[in-house]
Amino acid sequence: MGALDRLSQLGNQLSGGAIAGGRAKLLEKHPDDIVVTVALRTAITKGGKGGFKDTHAADLMAGALKGIIDRSKIDPALVEDIVVGTVLAPGGGATEMRAAALVAGFPESTAVRTLNRQCSSGLQACVDIANQIRAGMIEVGIGAGVESMSLQYGPAAVTEFSDLLESHPQAANCKVPMGVLSEQMAKDRNITRASQDAFAAASFQKAAKAQAAGLFKEEILPLKVKFEDPKSGETKEIVVDRDDGIRDGVTAESLGKIRPAFAKDGSIHAGNASQVSDGAAAVLMMKRSTAERLGQPVLGKFVAASVVGVPPLLMGIGPWKAIPKVFELTGITKDDVDIFEINEAFASQCLWCANELGLPPEKINPKGGAIAFGHPLGCTGARQVSTLLYELRRTGKKVGVTSMCVGTGMGMAAVWVAE
Amino acid sequence: MASMLEFRTPGFNPYAVKYSPYYDSRLAVAASAHYGIVGNGRLFVLGLGPGGIQLERAFETNDAQYDLVWSEINENQLLVACGDGSLKLFDLAAGDFPIMSFSEHKREAFSVCWNPITKDSFISSSWDGTVKIWSPSRPTSLKTLPVGTCTYSACFSPTNPAIISCVSSDSHIRIFDLRTPVSAKYHLVSIIPAHAPPPGPTLPLLSTGEVFAGNVPAEILTHDWNKYRDTVLATGGVDRLVRTFDVRNPAGGPLAVLPGHEYAVRRLAWSPHASDVLATASYDMTVRVWSDGSQLQPRRPPEHPNSNSNNTNIIPVGTQLGLMNRHAEFATGVDWCLFGAGGWLASAGWDQRVLVWDAHSLLRG
Repeated sequence: MGALDRLSQLGNQLSGGAIAGGRAKLLEKHPDDIVVTVALRTAITKGGKGGFKDTHAADLMAGALKGIIDRSKIDPALVEDIVVGTVLAPGGGATEMRAAALVAGFPESTAVRTLNRQCSSGLQACVDIANQIRAGMIEVGIGAGVESMSLQYGPAAVTEFSDLLESHPQAANCKVPMGVLSEQMAKDRNITRASQDAFAAASFQKAAKAQAAGLFKEEILPLKVKFEDPKSGETKEIVVDRDDGIRDGVTAESLGKIRPAFAKDGSIHAGNASQVSDGAAAVLMMKRSTAERLGQPVLGKFVAASVVGVPPLLMGIGPWKAIPKVFELTGITKDDVDIFEINEAFASQCLWCANELGLPPEKINPKGGAIAFGHPLGCTGARQVSTLLYELRRTGKKVGVTSMCVGTGMGMAAVWVAE
Repeated sequence: MASMLEFRTPGFNPYAVKYSPYYDSRLAVAASAHYGIVGNGRLFVLGLGPGGIQLERAFETNDAQYDLVWSEINENQLLVACGDGSLKLFDLAAGDFPIMSFSEHKREAFSVCWNPITKDSFISSSWDGTVKIWSPSRPTSLKTLPVGTCTYSACFSPTNPAIISCVSSDSHIRIFDLRTPVSAKYHLVSIIPAHAPPPGPTLPLLSTGEVFAGNVPAEILTHDWNKYRDTVLATGGVDRLVRTFDVRNPAGGPLAVLPGHEYAVRRLAWSPHASDVLATASYDMTVRVWSDGSQLQPRRPPEHPNSNSNNTNIIPVGTQLGLMNRHAEFATGVDWCLFGAGGWLASAGWDQRVLVWDAHSLLRG
């Protein structure tokens, strides 16, 4: 019974959209759309040895946020809130990220917070900003994500479970390591080693091809950082502007020789699971009416997002449940979607979700995924926005979905439209 | 169009106009402040006299008014559908407040219709995706028929008191028969996809020779039963087309198509005087009078260069008899006067005007 609902209902009747819902409705442009005007990411580099191995997460974030100001040329004072998804930082990284925003050039008046929904933190950050804008709490905001797995990955990420948690079987399952439970899931759901290796090899091949063609150029913000040469021990400044996890010439056969990592007779190994990596990504969002007022070019719009829970031991099936839910929220079907960016936590779970949902392989991760260039936990959800929107724009396609599974048994998905 | 009468509704944008079924000189208008987006509503009861149109009574509601219907059992009573989901029954012989209020719909109530045969019940439809059946003497509904999507309009059949139809944003017409047992389908006996073309190997042609382009789902905003042919109804909506259907053949596609409106068709009313004539009001600011062509001999379609000469899948196109373009904003309401020579119409629009005019004035030249 809100005035806005009545207005949009009338608008739909008028816009001549001869269509009751679905894709055509998604493509309509309205002043209250939540749009993305800049989306960017740093390069993603190998944990412990890549270009960012000595760079703090907050420094990566400061670089990405400064990149947002430089590329959008927006007055930083207009940005009212920044949400940063980050998973491993002690204390949630709240202090460092506030400091990073100040370093990047945002005034004290720009609020900052961090959040942690594990592997979907970056997406959750974007969704939170979109919802704050939609609710009228802020006008302009940045959803972001960052992770330095080089510096912050390790056993300290989870504290000991209490007896109470251990006494509840499903609760105790929440701390089963992701590799172990995915191995079990692959076995239970009959996802063969060969099919996983083929999927993983395709990810490498697609990413290598995209990198060679320069398809990541638009989304990657080059960053100058300090790097300690592991051989000579000397510290020098380098510019990191490409994903260093991507390897050319990977085939299903070459992956077939790698030993399984979690069980002797297992199927999951370093070559068909996501890489441990460092990186940051950020997305500048506002209403379409605000973008027009500020002269910001629209890259795409955020439509809706879903979040679901699944059994902790089957966390890999998260996208399988989250994607249909976001379809329900938006009134579209899988045929209306041009590109799916589904995080490749493990080839096994990504492949299972895609097969179960009946998604055509050519629509999934056309520039490769986390298996090829890495999965900096908090960064991934925000990274997918850049990867998706630039690819949709380049290919003249429109509707995209980003999705990922989430540790402890959850899934998220979001629908985006490129313009 | 010399003899056009006019009434202004300052500060309120009309959503519906209805002639009294008792008097040829009385009509009522449901109107809303700020185009029904936010604000209160006002019901105008108007009298036609030698001095033009006079205001007889006005009733206020706290939220917008989207539709109204005159009671069939009491000449002084009328019912409005309100933005807060309530239905309010007003009495011209009573005070300024409603004598009954029916509050069950969870979202905007958008249409009301009184049972024209038994006269002891009325129905309402709402954006909450339900149609409800009510008795004027009971505060709670007698029955709820689930539709599932925003239901813009619900009607009783004019010849059978047990048959109810509704149209909704999912592009379907639903027919309920209250004589059937309450099964899992809640009396639903037929569901007609309004956009579906007649079955056939190829897309059908219109009788004008063009390929039928209306095979895409679109919100249906209004519908009405023919007053003479008891199985025929017409729909209008966002895709700008008016279609007629025979409810006995749910999969048969439209009987006729009436193209012409340039924006969504917001209100539709069959003539009480002729079996083939109907009037429509549209967001394109016009009110049009049509014949669905059912009184004419079937025409042979002209040979079309693109058409397959074997294509027998042809939808007749009706004829636009006249166009009234005096409204300066969305035309939202139109109704036929039951009395007199036949052909008197009242129309209302967001230009805060009610116009009363003779359709025959459109037909000349």
